[in-house]
Amino acid sequence: MLEIKNVKKHYRKEVALDHVSLTIPTGSCFGLVGPNGAGKSTLLKILASIIQDYHGDIQLTKKNDQLKRITGYVPQELCLEQTLSTIDNLYFFGKLYGLSGKELKKRATEVLHDIGLSNRSKDKVMHFSGGMKRRLNIGCALMHNPELIIMDEPTVGIDPQSRRYIFQMIQGLQSKGCTVIYATHYMEEVEQLCDQIAFIDRGKIIETGSIPSLLQKYAIPSVFAKAKNHFPNKIGEFGKITKRKDGHLIKTDTPLEVMEEILTCYKTNPKDLERLELVQPRLEDVFFTLTGSELREGNPSIRPENTIKQEVYQ
Amino acid sequence: MSAMLILEMKKNLQDRGLLFWMVILPIAFIVLAVSIFASGTEEASKQDIILSIIPGYAVMFVFFIMISMVSAFLKDRDLGMTARIASTPLSPKLYLLGKWIPYTLIVFIQIVILIVFGKLVYQVPIEQPIFLVILAIALSFTATGLGLALGLFVQTENMGIAITQVIGLGGAMLGGLWVPLELMPKFIQTIAHFLPQFWAHQAFQDALNGTLIEKDLFLAVLIILAFGFGAFIVAILRYPHFLKQARG
Repeated sequence: MLEIKNVKKHYRKEVALDHVSLTIPTGSCFGLVGPNGAGKSTLLKILASIIQDYHGDIQLTKKNDQLKRITGYVPQELCLEQTLSTIDNLYFFGKLYGLSGKELKKRATEVLHDIGLSNRSKDKVMHFSGGMKRRLNIGCALMHNPELIIMDEPTVGIDPQSRRYIFQMIQGLQSKGCTVIYATHYMEEVEQLCDQIAFIDRGKIIETGSIPSLLQKYAIPSVFAKAKNHFPNKIGEFGKITKRKDGHLIKTDTPLEVMEEILTCYKTNPKDLERLELVQPRLEDVFFTLTGSELREGNPSIRPENTIKQEVYQ
Repeated sequence: MSAMLILEMKKNLQDRGLLFWMVILPIAFIVLAVSIFASGTEEASKQDIILSIIPGYAVMFVFFIMISMVSAFLKDRDLGMTARIASTPLSPKLYLLGKWIPYTLIVFIQIVILIVFGKLVYQVPIEQPIFLVILAIALSFTATGLGLALGLFVQTENMGIAITQVIGLGGAMLGGLWVPLELMPKFIQTIAHFLPQFWAHQAFQDALNGTLIEKDLFLAVLIILAFGFGAFIVAILRYPHFLKQARG
């Protein structure tokens, strides 16, 4: 459905996006993952038509569709009028997409139901909790029944209940045929929601694929063991051992053999082996393998212009 | 655009600070100025003073709408609303118009209230009401046009307030809104001709008095509107940069 071809974007001399190409299938939930300043938000702003001065192509399979008309954008910020009511906020965004009269009211009622705020429609947003505001922020983007929904870290700063509710909403949207682009750096969210993911770092797409394929390609399984006495040196031959607070983690391509070896070592004194566990690889391991684990705060190379300016004025 | 317009109107109606800036403060200043400058003078000169003070303070306080406009635009920019709206089919021009028109309406109402206050309390004559309405529309357009441009230009609210003070108070002082121009040095009288405040004040005074001829009305309106159109063009040119700075 959505083809992103060779998209390039510079902020002055700094490269924010460097020849980004992606294909996002219709009806999928596509995760865009990367550290802070990787270029996720810049790419989303281009897709949401907020940034228009870029190089490259964004093509829709349905040639006649205007990207703005079929897209619902959920920004990281809460773009709500705090002094107005829930329904007024929904009406406002609905009208911006050309809805009016009965159609507007009907759609607002449906969205209120979907975001779980039907009984708070007349209440002012300023009195809402963070989770309620987040849900309304999403609701505003759904008023015009978009086919493509772009979400930029929509669960920042909310409680687990609201988060779960939002996940259910996203899954519901996907089951209705919507395509969702979901940017985050929370790996567990991606694991739970997305069919396909793209890792982006320093403005470049460094890897794409399904979660199982990426796990198979990059993540190494490990064995966790906790023993009372000295840990057998022999185990070091099987892989890299990292000391943890309460035991040892052995990263290895042959985890079952390692477990077998450890069991053999402790056969005579099984009470000395307190814990032995197979640790399945996780997306977070893939993330660190691909992007490294060093802190990125000191690297302003690909931050958007506004972030740089706002820091100056603070 | 109607969505933007209704939203702004609702927000402004809820803003009590705006009521203070736009109506209560000007009325307080008018009462104070009249009691200081007109007390103890003969009836004829008292009426002349009042006839200068009422339109003078009305014209001066019209420009204070710029503070509210700066604040509204910066809030939109920093809370992500500008970027969010840019992701919708609403064009930048309609976005700016939708934000601008409610303020123009507010300023127009402000001028009407201050003139009617002058009529009811100080028996100021309203001899050419149609001309006054035309002037009020032109002045509302220009003051809010400047507010629009300023809102898109300044980086911080304090900067916006400072520039508004320069335009509002500086323009009032140099435009003869406080002290009759005849009492000012020659060079200030020359400078006054380059300020919208001067043209608005002169035309308002004459229209209240019934001595404004059509040619002078046309000239005054043309000059006042030129500032407004200039400001709107500047705002449109500035908008892409403003959007780049916006969060979200």
